[in-house]
Amino acid sequence: MNSSGLSVSGMEARPSNLFARIAWHWRNDPKMELWIIWYSMVVFYFIFGIVFVGMTHVMPPPQPWWDPPRVVQWFNDHHRGILVGFGICFFIAGLVASCNAIIAYSMRRMSVSRVFAYSYLALYSLSAVPGMLLTAIALTVGAMRPDRDPALICWLYDFGFMAFDGTMGIFLIGTLVWMIAILIDKNGVFPKWFGYLNICNLITEFVIATAWILTRGAFSWNGLIAFWIDTAVFAIYTGVFITLLRNMVIREDFGTGPLPKLGASSGGGG
Amino acid sequence: MRRGDGELILFWMLPGLIVLWMAVFWFFPGFVPPMSPTWSAERVAAFYRDPHNLAGIRYSLIVFNWFGIAIIPCLALIVTQIRRMAHHTPVLGYCFLGCLAGGPTLFFIADLFWLLAAFRPERNAELIQLFNDLAWVTFTSQVGFLIAQCVFLALSIYLDRGPRPVFRSWVAHFNLLIAAALAPAAFVALALTGPLAWDGALSFWLRNAAIGVWLLVMTFVLGSTIHRQRREEASPA
Repeated sequence: MNSSGLSVSGMEARPSNLFARIAWHWRNDPKMELWIIWYSMVVFYFIFGIVFVGMTHVMPPPQPWWDPPRVVQWFNDHHRGILVGFGICFFIAGLVASCNAIIAYSMRRMSVSRVFAYSYLALYSLSAVPGMLLTAIALTVGAMRPDRDPALICWLYDFGFMAFDGTMGIFLIGTLVWMIAILIDKNGVFPKWFGYLNICNLITEFVIATAWILTRGAFSWNGLIAFWIDTAVFAIYTGVFITLLRNMVIREDFGTGPLPKLGASSGGGG
Repeated sequence: MRRGDGELILFWMLPGLIVLWMAVFWFFPGFVPPMSPTWSAERVAAFYRDPHNLAGIRYSLIVFNWFGIAIIPCLALIVTQIRRMAHHTPVLGYCFLGCLAGGPTLFFIADLFWLLAAFRPERNAELIQLFNDLAWVTFTSQVGFLIAQCVFLALSIYLDRGPRPVFRSWVAHFNLLIAAALAPAAFVALALTGPLAWDGALSFWLRNAAIGVWLLVMTFVLGSTIHRQRREEASPA
């Protein structure tokens, strides 16, 4: 828990014990709501990673060119992981709202029109439905009856992986909106290089389109280009924006002008 | 017309919505009693092919298709209350706003899958079972946005440190309790029998009762809050 930029005058002294300190922040820290949302975002991405990589084996994805018996075997191999993992995913799905909220808030803190925050919030509030939940629903239904007709299991497999990889527009336009806001912002909420880093994430949404056309090779849903490079860009991008949003919360002074530089923030306290 | 009047019009949609949702629940033949996930494809198909069931499925789900989404303006009323709370930023309101379309949209998708299963019941039984599975799993497991909505509302209430908090703290405790009651349904696909199965005590009865109780209690809470604020607006103290 970071307390930079917090005026402590007139408040009880901050204790050193961890739990007492958390309780102190809960009562006194005007940034408590921002920290809770920031931590929720971190928890969301952490669990998302565990579920999609470690439990359900959706990442890295299996082959799009497998024949029906091999697809059925994939579901059987990961039966428990898929059902438990996606159960966890359904349980925490709503945490995605905290990512969208804090990013929308970053745009409210900029010198730009509110239209950017509102567009982002509207665009991303349903992003998890095609991009994550439909995938999880299709693969859950695929795993729940191993005796289902293999042709139907294959259809669920395609549905799951293409909803996951092939949901492009929301992330394309959402990233574009955030990028424009960062580049025209005069409050210095984010460094301009991060605005340009958004272009990399945006390009991946174009590149992945090939997965809708090709079922084999580097451009298919598990290929070097369409999966590995895109996922690497996404992971770096996500790591960077989580760090920069943390800095934003530390620098927050609850004003409307330029955001103070890291380490130079003055007392806020609303 | 005062600001509170418009909110009051939207608020009075809520009791109407509760009546319609209860009617859908009662008249949808798949719910009372809930269909079992252990039924064979043939039995599921026969259920949809039964002319008596088919009419009930279609008519009740068309009504839900019309009015399931009607919860969104009512949830937006909660966003306006969160915005009235003494927070430092609008971020908690954004969190609630980010959740409120998700839950109803996923219910809507479940409604589409059920209606598709009933659309051509002469179709191959395995396909009808597939649509029926997709509908039940979507309907039952998609509690994530509802849970987050309750938790974000509870947080907003706890952090509302103004001299006159918008909601009392028991509303926050109540929302956390509802969130806990909804949680087991996320794991519905783990079992085809027992309390976790989609016709089970936890995934069906507890989850749906929690949604019903939440609707009733929040109608009461919102109604009294909006009426109080409207009175205060009329005669500023």
